[in-house]
Amino acid sequence: MIAEEPRLDPGRVTELAQSLETELARLIVGQKGLVRDTVIALIAGGHTLLEGVPGLGKTVLVRSLGQALKLSFARIQFTPDLMPADIVGTNVIREEKGRREFQYQAGPLFANLVLADEVNRATPKTQSALLEAMQERTVTVCTETRQLPVPFFVLATQNPIELEGTYPLPEAQLDRFFFKSLVPFPSQEELLEIARRTTGNTTPQLEAVADAEAILAAQQVAREVPIAEHVLAYAGRLIAATHPNRTELDSVKQYVRFGASPRGLQTLVLAGKVRALLEGRYNVAFDDLVAVSHPALRHRVFLRFEAEADDVTADQLIDEIVEKTDKAKAAG
Amino acid sequence: MSSLEAVVGKLRRSSARASAVRYLLHALLAAGAWILGVVILARFVPLEQALRVAAFGVPVAFAAVAVAWAAARPAPISLMRTADLRLGLKERLSTAWERRLDAGPMDGALRRDALEKAGRAKLAAAYPVGLRRGEMLLTVAVAVAAAALVLLPNPMDQVLAQRRADRHAQAQAAATIAAAQKKIAAASTPAPVDPQVQKILQDAKAKIAAAPDPHAALQNITPAEQKLLQLSDPQTPARASAAQNLANNLAATNAGRTTSQALTASPGQGAQSLRDLASQLQSLSPQDRAQVASALAAAAQQTKDPTMAASLRQASSALASGDTSAAAIALNGLAGQLDSLQQQESNDQQIAAALNGLEAARQQLAAQADRDAAQSATGTASGSPRAGAGGSGSGSGTGTGNGNGNGNGNGNGNRSGTGSGSGNGGTGNGGSGGQGNSGSGAGQGSAAQSTERVYVPAAALPGQSENDPAPLGPGQDVPLTPYTQVIQAYEQTALDAANQSLIPGSERDLIRAYFSSLGETSAGK
Repeated sequence: MIAEEPRLDPGRVTELAQSLETELARLIVGQKGLVRDTVIALIAGGHTLLEGVPGLGKTVLVRSLGQALKLSFARIQFTPDLMPADIVGTNVIREEKGRREFQYQAGPLFANLVLADEVNRATPKTQSALLEAMQERTVTVCTETRQLPVPFFVLATQNPIELEGTYPLPEAQLDRFFFKSLVPFPSQEELLEIARRTTGNTTPQLEAVADAEAILAAQQVAREVPIAEHVLAYAGRLIAATHPNRTELDSVKQYVRFGASPRGLQTLVLAGKVRALLEGRYNVAFDDLVAVSHPALRHRVFLRFEAEADDVTADQLIDEIVEKTDKAKAAG
Repeated sequence: MSSLEAVVGKLRRSSARASAVRYLLHALLAAGAWILGVVILARFVPLEQALRVAAFGVPVAFAAVAVAWAAARPAPISLMRTADLRLGLKERLSTAWERRLDAGPMDGALRRDALEKAGRAKLAAAYPVGLRRGEMLLTVAVAVAAAALVLLPNPMDQVLAQRRADRHAQAQAAATIAAAQKKIAAASTPAPVDPQVQKILQDAKAKIAAAPDPHAALQNITPAEQKLLQLSDPQTPARASAAQNLANNLAATNAGRTTSQALTASPGQGAQSLRDLASQLQSLSPQDRAQVASALAAAAQQTKDPTMAASLRQASSALASGDTSAAAIALNGLAGQLDSLQQQESNDQQIAAALNGLEAARQQLAAQADRDAAQSATGTASGSPRAGAGGSGSGSGTGTGNGNGNGNGNGNGNRSGTGSGSGNGGTGNGGSGGQGNSGSGAGQGSAAQSTERVYVPAAALPGQSENDPAPLGPGQDVPLTPYTQVIQAYEQTALDAANQSLIPGSERDLIRAYFSSLGETSAGK
């Protein structure tokens, strides 16, 4: 049996990811986990929801990503008066040679990298327009459906504080984000380094390490990474353990309202495949699933009021699920 | 590593080595537990060949564990998964093994990567040879306990030895009866009762062999003896006496001297000679006829058998009146009765041989039963004193009354039946009836308190005559000894006396049963 050669050498994907992370590190201080999650989501072809207080470099991250990948970049500041047409585009009347006709004016969604800043401040109507575009990778204006550019990668941000006057994303829409990454506050050393880098006269200029074609190829390669049956079963057991009616964990039964959806399992496995590649492996390991379990599941585990009252977070529950789910049992 | 199969092979060997050590310990534990179980059981239940049974379990345990070990060999995918987990190979081996037959874009790279990492790893470390401390300690504890119980004396050994001796005694008794059967079958002149005698002996032999112990076996001998005795004709001694009287009286006559000698030799020869004499009566002189008639009349007067006496009288009177033909008929009738006597004597000889065989078997069984009773009397106290009274006897006139108390009995028979019974404090035996056709016996005993202790006068001290007891001081009682200390000596003396006396076997059984019951009572106390 002759093995089919991959369209892109898996090693090249590893190199691409590593060079991308290196390039981003030139501008972004610390946040290695956030950068790794972002790169994984990008190669997996998913969208990311970033949650963090203002001023932590979310916009810089997305803009830097655009520079490092030679991709088009758009930023949309979501506000309560933002309308769907403001992001997907609209038909405008244009007069040419005395003749008036409607012409489609593309919105800012027509970019490879889109930063949806403070996505929870827009009305549900506008949020729905964004999320439909994220899911379908098309927009429909006046009965005409238009394809968004590929790759299409949305990074939406939301502020965990100042929730007054916001429209929290409903569960069904949260599920459409591949990852939800938390943007942590930098350490003391990182703070000082940020100050050094950004208060001088010069700002580092990033070099493009890959283009859209390389990203698309990497996305295809990532999907071909094999996963063993028992590792896949472990992923399934992790997902099942998030459901209060299927888990054996008392904390999950007590605090979880709904567990992760099948899309959560897809995310876990796909992200695991990308992480395996980034680690220089050609197969998914238990460790890959564990490593991506937090960004993949934290926005898919919906907690009860009791969890908030007891100050229990989804991450804590995921940690417990991972700890209590036996890998040896999955190994048989 | 050259191939995934080579990796599997190496892992399989490591796994087999590690699990073999664990299973070996399992086998040792199982064998030890089996031996321990058997030796513990053998301390409560008399087990024949307990050590052999225990030893038999060892190879069985090892074989069972070996089968379990072979059946529990892990599949290759399990080996790979375990190696991945234990060696930190990040599921490379298991994924590569699962996809060893696939040809996807990454499978080649995956296999190369997995083999490279497996080559660097120490695969044997995936299955380290190790034993669980708890199981190891348990195995040692079981082995030590089993060895200790094997080496310590087992109280059941004595019971087993007694059983073996019992079986041996019963087999010997059965062999003795078989020898008697053979002797009867080999007799030069077969008797008409031979088949019946053989059947009685055969039955007795089978019952003795099947009896649970010599005591029970002994109980089969007396009925057999009685059946044999029933085959014997009670008139035989009277007829033999009559024949002898006739011979004595004819010896003084000229014509009957030859017949007298023939009668003395055997009743059969005498019958033939008597027929010859009957045929010669006409040729005898009147004086000889008178002598013969007188001898016949004297014999008729002396004989106690009515049939023979009638024939003799008839011949005598016919000869005296000169009717020689009537006298010849009467003498021929007498000859027929002598033929019958000859046959009865043959029967009695065979019956006597059978009785001798049974008596020899009785001696063998009785000796073993006595030893058993002595052992149970000197063994550890067990059971409870049997209280009770009363006894009954019938037929042979034996009656027993079990229980503490005084017993007495009586028996009577219309011939020689007499009954006697006595009971001492410990156990009362009912009276024994005499032998007789319709003898009967009855015994009764009054129960004594089970806590009562019975004392007998103490044995004489060395140098002191039994007839000369030491003088007692004022207020002094005769020195007493518990009867349990002297009962064995009493029993031996009684049995010796019984063996040396010509008393029926059933009476000996009675004596033996009496002392056996005393032994049981003393053991109970």
